[in-house]
Amino acid sequence: MPGRPSDPGDSLVPFSAEVHDPVVHPVRHGLRPPLFRVFVSWSRGNLLHVACLCQRAPAGTGVGEDGDDAARGGVGGKVVEVKLGGGGDGGISEAERRRIAYGSVPAFAMLQSRRNSLMAASRMQFSSLRAEWWQHILEYSNHIGDLLGTQKPPPKPVIGDPKMVVEPLEEPTELKAAWHLMQIFYADNESRAWLPESLVDWLEDYDGLLSMTESTIHSKLVALQKKLVDLQVIEDDPDYWQGLASALAVGWLDIVVKLLRLHGSYQPDQLDDREIENGLVEAVAVLVSTMPRLRPNLPTGKLGQCYKTKPDFVKAREKWQSHISKLDCSAFWIQCGHQQTCEGLRNLLRIMLGQFDSLHASSCHWMELYVSHFLYVQPFTAGLEGMHTLAQKCMQQKPAGSYTALTRILVGILGENTEARECDGLWVPFLLSLMVVHSIELLTADSKQADALLHEERYNLGGISIEELHRLVYAQVLSSHPLTWQIAPTYLASCQRQGLGLLEILLYKQPIRHYTMLLKDLEICRLYELENISLNVMKIAGVYHWKHGRKGFGVYWLQQAHDEVRLSRIAQQLFEHIGKSISDDSFKQWEGLIELLGSEVGSAGGLEFLHKYRDFKRSLQKVQEGRSIDAARKSTETLVQLMKSPSTPQRFWLPLLYDSVKLLNWRDRPLLTVSETNLLLNKLQELSMARLRPDFADTDLLPEALSSVRLALATNLGRAILEEC
Amino acid sequence: MAAAGDLMVHRFPQGKAVDAVRWLPPVSAFDRFVVAAAHDADAGVSAVEILSVALFQENEEPNKPSLLPRASWPSTSRISSLTSAKALTKPLPIALSTFAGSLHYLFVDPLEGSVESELSVAADARSFHRGPISALDLQVDGRACVSVGEDGRVNLVSLGETGLENRRVHDSRGLVSYTAVRWGSPAEFATGGLGFGIQWWDQRKPGGFVSQFKGNWTQGSTSGIVHSIDIHPSRKHICIAGGSSGTVFAWDLRWQKQPIILSGIGFKEQAQTSSEKDGMLTVLEQGYSLLFGVGDDSHAYATERFLDNILRIRP
Repeated sequence: MPGRPSDPGDSLVPFSAEVHDPVVHPVRHGLRPPLFRVFVSWSRGNLLHVACLCQRAPAGTGVGEDGDDAARGGVGGKVVEVKLGGGGDGGISEAERRRIAYGSVPAFAMLQSRRNSLMAASRMQFSSLRAEWWQHILEYSNHIGDLLGTQKPPPKPVIGDPKMVVEPLEEPTELKAAWHLMQIFYADNESRAWLPESLVDWLEDYDGLLSMTESTIHSKLVALQKKLVDLQVIEDDPDYWQGLASALAVGWLDIVVKLLRLHGSYQPDQLDDREIENGLVEAVAVLVSTMPRLRPNLPTGKLGQCYKTKPDFVKAREKWQSHISKLDCSAFWIQCGHQQTCEGLRNLLRIMLGQFDSLHASSCHWMELYVSHFLYVQPFTAGLEGMHTLAQKCMQQKPAGSYTALTRILVGILGENTEARECDGLWVPFLLSLMVVHSIELLTADSKQADALLHEERYNLGGISIEELHRLVYAQVLSSHPLTWQIAPTYLASCQRQGLGLLEILLYKQPIRHYTMLLKDLEICRLYELENISLNVMKIAGVYHWKHGRKGFGVYWLQQAHDEVRLSRIAQQLFEHIGKSISDDSFKQWEGLIELLGSEVGSAGGLEFLHKYRDFKRSLQKVQEGRSIDAARKSTETLVQLMKSPSTPQRFWLPLLYDSVKLLNWRDRPLLTVSETNLLLNKLQELSMARLRPDFADTDLLPEALSSVRLALATNLGRAILEEC
Repeated sequence: MAAAGDLMVHRFPQGKAVDAVRWLPPVSAFDRFVVAAAHDADAGVSAVEILSVALFQENEEPNKPSLLPRASWPSTSRISSLTSAKALTKPLPIALSTFAGSLHYLFVDPLEGSVESELSVAADARSFHRGPISALDLQVDGRACVSVGEDGRVNLVSLGETGLENRRVHDSRGLVSYTAVRWGSPAEFATGGLGFGIQWWDQRKPGGFVSQFKGNWTQGSTSGIVHSIDIHPSRKHICIAGGSSGTVFAWDLRWQKQPIILSGIGFKEQAQTSSEKDGMLTVLEQGYSLLFGVGDDSHAYATERFLDNILRIRP
């Protein structure tokens, strides 16, 4: 990972230069102090392995009643896994995060491969491909957006409740809101053309999320809705008019019209006395529902009249505004008997005419004021710069106690401040990095400048680009969890500089205790063509199983890894059985192990010898059982072969010969020829010479073994000479 | 079973790792129970969960089945293998083994989907398994269970008068590790292990396996581990084994030296198809999905197709 940049001023990853008090996290290891030594090492992702070793216990005193390992082995300890950077859950469960993480992988991989294929083709005709690319980006963006929020609209009642003005939101999440916001600005070409109206739509979906502590128009309307059920005379209640004004200010026209139709003057028994009042209400309702909108279309159920081109819209708007002014100046207001209705309705007219005081009074959050500006004051605001200054203005008008992540993202986008968008730390690291990794795809789709900014290799990040940095961070978070580590390679593989290194570490550090885990690890190695990693992982597994008594498994993995060094070491261990009594119970076990080692690793010298020795032992056993001359002959042949072979270690010469004294003294006839006997005698002589050397390793055979072998050889030689004469 | 083109996949995200899943024998045509071994990695808790699968819903969309939890039984260690009796009895035995080396019998009410009682063999390195039990299989009636482990032990646990009775069938002292087991008949079973090896055991003939297949046709790097075995229900001499790297092969006791490789890296065209599909573990999971599957249906289907293959080659 990148080191600490020297100057905080030009760093991209913000860190504060001031020194904080160190935060102490206790690690619970459950061992009784004093600890002898503590080892700390990084495991996969953000996991830290802390190995605590206990002091060697003095003999005789048990180390604590609960420290079972410690009590037995003298030196005990424990490895504790510490997860760093966990943090709060941000209202989303781990399982939910995993669902998002898993769901977003295919989309990411798909987009990467499409980008690559387009890059390859882009040399030829850029413009036609660009449209296609936008299509892909939008698809991708929609996919991720769907993942972030559950799209499950509650079942609608068959009979609509006339008093149901605010539809319950479909569990919006901040994450989805933020994603949607970015989609509007970066992914969706269509909505970019109608930015102000897109923001109006966005606010309609996510207004409730703007502030958790302060009230929003959404929360106000929900409160009003509860109240509506009990209210007898709606129009007498100031909240009703407040709600109407607020809903109108942010352009929720359908709600406004619905609410207006609840006005008491519509009730049939009162119609006669309140005709004028009712006419005014209806006139406003009609004006509201025919408001001209600068957008291509409206979803069903939403009100307004769409105009695709500016001149048409301007014409319609002027006409609409003149209607409003006319109504405002009409004489009917004086004839209207209900004071509150008059005031309320005229306030609505003022809002529609875009009068600042009314807009200001009916909005709660600066975003709401912002959106109302787009609707009624400056419908032609274009360009991020203009939108940004307007946002600044609105923020001054409606200062909020604290700015949530959502609003900061919006300001960041408007200010064309890429970094600000990404360094937002309000979310849980997991989700944040998920967002960032995937949103980078959107950012780079947008402009060349952002593209350059994100892909530029930065010295202070250790030579990687911002894009890579965020991918790495995200992959680390994924790697830390046993259920998500397997998708981290997808992201690591897309990081050119440091991804592969981290991928190797990730694969190395997987627990290999169980073979299914190991197989998955190896499979990933195979996919990314990391041959040497898989070999090493298999070696680690082999040694682990061997140590835990699963010799078959150990040898299997070592063989798979072609680890001749360790296989020879195992063979060395087997040598220790040579020369022991033939009736040894462990011969079967020993034989099985040689069987396991197989013949394919014959190049390891020791193994070749072991195989021959096993054959020799087997035939000797037969000799003992059956005494057949053929078996005895065969045994002698193997003996001579063994003694001739250069792979037979010198220290086994004497045990071999001692094993076969019976053969040498074969009753019926000598089994060895003169030359063979001479060969064996020479070897014995060589052995006696070697004994004088200081590095000679003596076998633990009885001293009389040598003399009995010598005697047997001499006897055999004599008999063989006689035989051959 | 629907034709391949009509396959509908319904996803039921669980939020936990599911280590094993099995159908319980059906009581009615519409409601079936599924038993799953779940592991919650965040809390470090494992459990056996019994879920009911309702294929037809009255209120919601017609084609959307639902999966509802019915009962849960907490396990002290992560579950390595899970199986249920095939014959419908009341109560219905389910057997499961753990990584800690213990074996548990759960008795489930097949109508209610609730756990009525349990019996277990505690983890004991001396008398039972040393380390994790890698696989187990229940007899059709659920009265006997064979378990194998990486330690090379084969144990037989049977339902006695007083409780579970445990008998050691074989101990290879770690020289051989077993990773799969399957009953062929009330007396015979097959085990699978490293290097694509399969052993055939007959309880009436003590002293080790009756016959063995050493999968050394693939030397070196492509050798693998058997993950699952199935034996043809009426032709007991045919075993199908699925192993690592997507290898599936049939082993016929009548021609023990000549296994039929049905898929795997050894076959070129097969290897290509597996690498073309993207995904993390395609090859391995092909091996799993073919033979483990989720339901009994796909299981039978896979076996049948392979049998056709065998019969074509060896009429």
